[in-house]
Order: sequence, then structure tokens, then C-alpha cells
Amino acid sequence: MRDTPEDGKVLRYGKGGGPLSSAVRGALSLVRSYPVFLGLGVFLGLLPLWADYLSRPLGIPIVMVMRLVGIYTIAAVGLNLLMGYAGQVSLGHGAFFGIGAYTSALLCVKAHFPPWLGIPAAVVVAALVGLAVAPVLRLRGHYLAMATLGLGMVFFVFMREMTWLTGGNDGLRNIPPLSLPGLAVGEGRNYLRKEYHFIWVIALLVLLFCFNLVRSRSGRAMRALHQSEVAAEVMGVDVSWEKIKVFVLSAALAGLAGGIFAHIQGYIDPNLFTIVLSIQLVTMVVVGGMESIWGAVAGAVVITFIPKVVEALPKWLGEVPRWVEKYSNYEGIIYGLILVLTMVFMPSGITKGLSDMISYRRSPFVNPFRRRALD
Amino acid sequence: MLDFLRNCPQYLANGLANGCLYVLVAMGFNIIYNSTGIINFAQGEFSMFGGLFAYALAVSAGLPLPLAALLAVLATAAVGGIMERAMIYPLRRAGVLTAIIATVGASIFFKSLGRVFWPSEAYKVPEFTPGTFRLPGATVSRQFLWVIGLTVICVALVYVFFSRTRAGKAMRACSVNRQAATLVGINVSRMSLYSFILAAALGGAAGLISAPFASYGMGLEMGVKGFTASVVGGLGNTFGAVVGGLVLGLLEELIPGFLTVVLGVSTGYKGAVAAIILIAVLLFRPQGLLGRGMVEKV
Repeated sequence: MRDTPEDGKVLRYGKGGGPLSSAVRGALSLVRSYPVFLGLGVFLGLLPLWADYLSRPLGIPIVMVMRLVGIYTIAAVGLNLLMGYAGQVSLGHGAFFGIGAYTSALLCVKAHFPPWLGIPAAVVVAALVGLAVAPVLRLRGHYLAMATLGLGMVFFVFMREMTWLTGGNDGLRNIPPLSLPGLAVGEGRNYLRKEYHFIWVIALLVLLFCFNLVRSRSGRAMRALHQSEVAAEVMGVDVSWEKIKVFVLSAALAGLAGGIFAHIQGYIDPNLFTIVLSIQLVTMVVVGGMESIWGAVAGAVVITFIPKVVEALPKWLGEVPRWVEKYSNYEGIIYGLILVLTMVFMPSGITKGLSDMISYRRSPFVNPFRRRALD
Repeated sequence: MLDFLRNCPQYLANGLANGCLYVLVAMGFNIIYNSTGIINFAQGEFSMFGGLFAYALAVSAGLPLPLAALLAVLATAAVGGIMERAMIYPLRRAGVLTAIIATVGASIFFKSLGRVFWPSEAYKVPEFTPGTFRLPGATVSRQFLWVIGLTVICVALVYVFFSRTRAGKAMRACSVNRQAATLVGINVSRMSLYSFILAAALGGAAGLISAPFASYGMGLEMGVKGFTASVVGGLGNTFGAVVGGLVLGLLEELIPGFLTVVLGVSTGYKGAVAAIILIAVLLFRPQGLLGRGMVEKV
């Protein structure tokens, strides 16, 4: 059992133990068994108070970047449920992110919805699209990966070509900033801070939900899929239904992230939601560590901060290396190397590697070149 | 409708030419899949390298075209070999998920590498013999004949390699049963290396005859279409790839042509055709049009 707050503690749930009831129970036991959560919440809540003092010398607008980290955390945690826990690859998750962004943006721009109604609508639409394409889940492994990659491509082409709805390559402008009923979030003084708090409250709730979900009955079923679908079926898990559930949930979370993203950007176009975004999300999951909720957070932090650090390098070095100017050219090299090196040397990700190093005092790296019998 | 029928010869010619490229890429997918059980998501990037290397050697360095083409194919084959030693060999015992993510990483890495050295949107790889000629109802570039000829030669060479040479037979043995192959003294990891070199060479060849243009971004499209072709022909069926590639090439011209001419749909949707065909085939006939039944180990 991974991620348990205290090893050896038996987590008992009553009858059923669906995600919602366990989330309620989880909330009650929060004070007792989730010190990490409380710590993270307090840390994130207080972060803006001191981040500004660091931002200037570092040359990285921390609060501004942390908003993005929060958004990516929501999407990455959903993808981690699908990829890490249930073992189903998706190389098209950027599309669900895009669907969420377009849904909320279109409702707000064309039908003048307030953002706090647009974002839930984005979640619902992304979940419905996820449900509609759920038949691809009959596929496994490589086939599923290629099919989801194809879905991402199809989505991109449609967003680009349906100009009457989406504005095509010109995108959608003037998307209203975040707001709550009777409360402007994304405007006025300190709007970055307000957006930051808004996003992280949602992100922490999502984390809490997922944290409890993977410990619930359906969470255990989900993890059984990853080991062996046949064995899971034999043990009475309804394999195809469990797959559809987790796929729709991860699509909904990507949609939620996309919906929020549209409102803090104020502008979207199809090129924001290509395969590149899908790969970014996969990289976050892989680097942080599959089958780990905290891994998704760690991955989102690392992957979101890398470009900002690269952009801030000239400020630290006092000179501008020529290649920094065209960071976007190098982005793929960095992601590609991260993916390959992680898979080869630290297949269980940063969080696992480091926690093993701390608890077992062993190297976090594996040596894949060691020869064994039958090589 | 009449307009569509009038355009048909042109669609067929274009479809066959593109189909030949998909045949080569699809064969690469199958060869790697047979010897290692991996689907190489970076297969399309081999085509990108083939095109860009050919441009660099023929245009930037000014070598004679046949020599440049040969060197470009060899250089791409070397990239495939290096990739196998650096990444696939260490992952030989890893699971499917790991292999997928690693090859996806390699594909992104190659694409960016291409972008750093060749940052423009398109590079004109010279044609072997410029110009066009007319057939009844269609105008065809002379390159078209080269594409068909070279594809036939490549397929023939691959056929001879797998049926007559020791290494080719050993690779087929690996695809049947890797452990048994090991027991009769075949060096399985070396076969995996050969398969990557061969697949990269085929992909590179496809990239350099896909004149007129090569760009850093062409790999994804080539990869998805090549994979679609190999699935249509039956994954792992090396010669099913020939049928699959040609069928996909034709469908990719005929379907958008029909939609545009008869129904007035915008041509921009053409990019989604291959992906939709891929998903449809995977869902309704995963063993391919002429595939043997798929056996899944549990």
C-alpha cells in the first residue's frame, strides 16, 4: 500500500465506501491522519506573504507561476489516477484540457455566463466527451496509447477548422477573469494572489478527493487493474466499468483545469492544446512518480518551473546565453530527456526514489545496464 | 459528383505516392514490434531525420544527390542504432507502459533536436528528377516514379533479408519466441539492435523521397500514419504493411476529396482522416484487414 499516512495502520471502511462517503470520512479524519495535507495547506496559504521577497532576486514571479502549478496539479492528478493507478496510458489528455477551456470560454464569451457557472459546465462537458470516447478503453497498452494520441489530433483539427464556433487559429479573446458569485477574483488589487488562493483551494480539494479515492473500494479495484486485468476480473472487479469510471473522472479533472486556465489567460487558441500539452501532463505524472498523489504535485512543480528557471538564468548569470532567447526550441529536448532518463534510471519517479533513499538508505537510481541471465 | 469522378485519377496517383511512404514507415514499425514487442513512437522522427539529413547533405553541403541520399539513410540508421543501445536495451525487462513513455520521450527529443538545427517550417529536399508528366486525368511529378521504384526495391530487399539471410531468419525466430531463440544461440539483444537500424533506415528512406518538403514537425504525422498503415495490414505482418500503406494512402485522398468536392467540407479536416481511420480500425478490426488473430498474453 503506497502513500499511506502511517505504515501498518489499517484503513477500514464500512459498507460500500464510495468516493464521496469516504471523502466525508476523510475530511473528518483530516486532523488526525493527514498532517502532510494540513502542512501543505498552511504552507501554500502563507506562501504569497513571503514569495514576493524571493521573486525579485530570483527573477521568477513565484505567485504567478504557482497559479499554473495549481492548474497543472489538478490535471496531472487526474491523469495519474488513469495512468499510474489504473495503468491506462493516455497521450491525448491535452484535448480534455482544451475541451474544458473552450467550453467555459465559449459559454462566457458568447452566452455571457459568469465564470463560476462556466467552469462547472466545462467539467461536465469534458466528462461527457470522456464518456463518449470511452470505447477506446477496450484497447490496451500500445494500442490505447496510439488511439488516445489520435483522439488528441482529431480534437485539434476540429478546434482549428470549426471557425464559426471557436474562431479557428485566431482563437477566442476577452474571456472574463475568474469570479465567484458577488465577488471578483481575477480583477482589482492583488488579483494574482486572489487567483492563486482560488486555484489552490480547488486543487487541494481535488487532491483530498483523489487521496481518499485511491484508498476506497473503487480505488482498490482501480489499482487491481494495473496489476492484471484478468486477475481483477476473477476477484469480482467489473473491469470495463472501473476503466470507464476512472477515465471519465480524469477527463473531468482535465476539463476543470482547462476551464480555470481559460479564465486566468483571458485568451485561448487551438495551438495551446496540442500533443505538446498532452506530453507535458504525461511528463508531470512520470517525473513525479506514477501511482502517487504527491507525485503529481511534485511533477507539476518541477515541469512548470523548469522554463521559468531557464528564462531567469540570464538574470542570475549576468549575461544572456544565446540559446535562452529561443527556449521554446529547446523545450522538447528537455522534456524528452526527462522522460527517457526517468524511465531508464528512476522508473518509479522522484517522490518514490527520494522516499526510498530516505527510508532504506539506498540509491534512488537503478542500473539498467547490469547483465543478468538470458540477456 | 461528376467533378469527384473526374478528379479520381489524380486522387489515385497522389494516394499511391503517399501510400508508398506509409508502407516504408509501417514496415519499420512491424520490424521493431516483431523483434522487441515495442511500438516505437519515435518511428516518424526517423523520416524527419531522413529528410533533414538529405537536405543538409545535398543542399547545404552540396554533395551529389545519390550520395547524399545514401549517406542520409545511413546516418538515420545510425540514429536508430544509437537509440536502441542507449534506451531500448536498458529497458529490455521493463513493462509496456515504460517502453511507451520512453519512446514518446525519444520522439519529442528528436523532434526538438531537428528544430534546433533546422528551425524553419520547411526545407526543400531536391527531387531526383524534377518536372512532371501527364497521365489521362492526372498530372504526376516525376518523383512519383522514383517513390514507387524505391519502395518496390526496399520491400524486395527486406523480403530477401528476412527469407534468405541468417540474420533475417534469426530476427524472425525472435519474433516467434524470444526465449526459444535465446536457447538456440541467437543473440536477442543484437537482433533488437538490427531491427532498430533497419527500421530507421526504412523510415529515413521514406523521409527523403517524401520530397518536396521536410520539416522538424513531420514526424508525428508520419508516425501516426505509418502506425495506422501497419494496423490496417495487421500489426507485425511485415508484408501486410504494403497493403495497409497503399489502402491508407488511397483512403486519405479519396475521403477528403469526396467530402470537399461533393459535400463542400473544408479541406482542413484532412489532417484528422488518418487518426479517425486508426481509431475505427483499432475498435472494429484490431487484427487488421489481413492480420492473423491477435493473441494477448496475460
